[in-house]
Amino acid sequence: MDLHVIVENLPYMLTGLQMTVILSAVSMVGSFAGGAVFAMLRLSPWWWLRWPAILYIDLVRTVPLIMVIFWAFFLMPVLTGHATTPVKAALFALILFNTSYMAEVIRAGIQSIPKGQTEASRAIGLTYLQAMRHVVLPQALRHMSPALVSRFIALFMGTSLVYIIGVTEFFRAANNVNNRVYRSYEIYGFVAIVYFVCCYALSLASSALERRFAVPDGGGGETRAGGLTLPGRAWGARSVAGALGRLTGSDLRRPE
Amino acid sequence: MGYKFDWGVLLVYRHLLWQGLVLTVQLSALGMVLSLALGGVIGLGRRAEAKPLRWLCGAYIEFFRNIPLIVQLFFWYFAVGLEAFPAAVIGLTVYTSAYIAEVIRSGLQSIPRTQIEAARSFGMTPFQVIRHVVLPQALMRVIPPLGVEFINVIKNSSIAMTISVTELTFQTQQIESLTFRGFEAATAITLLYVLLALTIVLLMAAIERVVRLDLRVG
Repeated sequence: MDLHVIVENLPYMLTGLQMTVILSAVSMVGSFAGGAVFAMLRLSPWWWLRWPAILYIDLVRTVPLIMVIFWAFFLMPVLTGHATTPVKAALFALILFNTSYMAEVIRAGIQSIPKGQTEASRAIGLTYLQAMRHVVLPQALRHMSPALVSRFIALFMGTSLVYIIGVTEFFRAANNVNNRVYRSYEIYGFVAIVYFVCCYALSLASSALERRFAVPDGGGGETRAGGLTLPGRAWGARSVAGALGRLTGSDLRRPE
Repeated sequence: MGYKFDWGVLLVYRHLLWQGLVLTVQLSALGMVLSLALGGVIGLGRRAEAKPLRWLCGAYIEFFRNIPLIVQLFFWYFAVGLEAFPAAVIGLTVYTSAYIAEVIRSGLQSIPRTQIEAARSFGMTPFQVIRHVVLPQALMRVIPPLGVEFINVIKNSSIAMTISVTELTFQTQQIESLTFRGFEAATAITLLYVLLALTIVLLMAAIERVVRLDLRVG
């Protein structure tokens, strides 16, 4: 054990960690936006909007993230005729990949809001997008929050794969150090611990959110959501998480 | 777009594609079987009477789920110094078993303790309780999420390319560097992954049907 190696190279590895955080944050925002669009497309009453969305969502989810990263880095330039930088390709791949998972999280969130609310909003004269923006999404967001944090954890761990196209995020930074000093046990042990601490802390946050928005069983009670008191069925985060699992047939936490 | 497609490279390099497919299937199959066994034991341990055992299994699950697979593979390969293929199998198994343990645990948890107590008070033996009360209900709940985990194993096996296992994704890069025909290779290999995932979907549906008939449930 030689912890000196870690201490000496800590500043360099921390710049890598910074890159990891930036990549995760930017792709989280990007894939949330993309996911919202695809979720709405998938719920559209028109088949010519619905089918392409379903195809995209289900296709991307059967392909490994590494393949998507390859596509973005090696093959997009061939198609578009423009060279791309590793960071841009990485962001593109991460967003493309996560959009499909986010779409399913958001879709289940939207479906957790009783249909009557959308109908009521439409009846009082809101457009579909207004009903989404002011009535459905604010409530759905609360229901989705544990699943969203879980997606962020998956994304955070997934960024380690862009190492293969040469983006110096945390994992690559640590590898660079290891190639120089050759202390595999210390370096990879340290990397594992850092990832574990970050992800475990986030997963604790996710379960706290789940408890925060969970509603005791029994149904029929009143649920506070989005500052509104909703009569009728109890739509706790736990039941939404369960519904998410059934609807998407997927573990929403991780999956590369 | 000045790119001329040449799908012929797929025929010329079909031995690479085949080799990659065989390795991906081997790696995934081993990963599925081993992580189902290990994950099953740990999932049962999560529901054990003894508190230290429950805690230990919980710690295992949280630890291995929260470290990226690529980091775990590098650890087995570079730090521990295993050969590439065994390192990939061990890494994939340890990582996936944490997820499968959670699937098993929640399947078992969905059966109320009172049902087991009621069955016992009827005079059923513990084995009969498991056979006729616990298993039929738990299996039906566990099969769909297990299918998802199995598909994840196939997808995650691609990460083994980073420690030089020559599976499908590795061959994409190989064909790209030999022929500059990455586009054609990546298309073919992406399709192969989709086909493998579909195979699992169909397989799990068949298993579900058999279990449903066999156990007379649902």
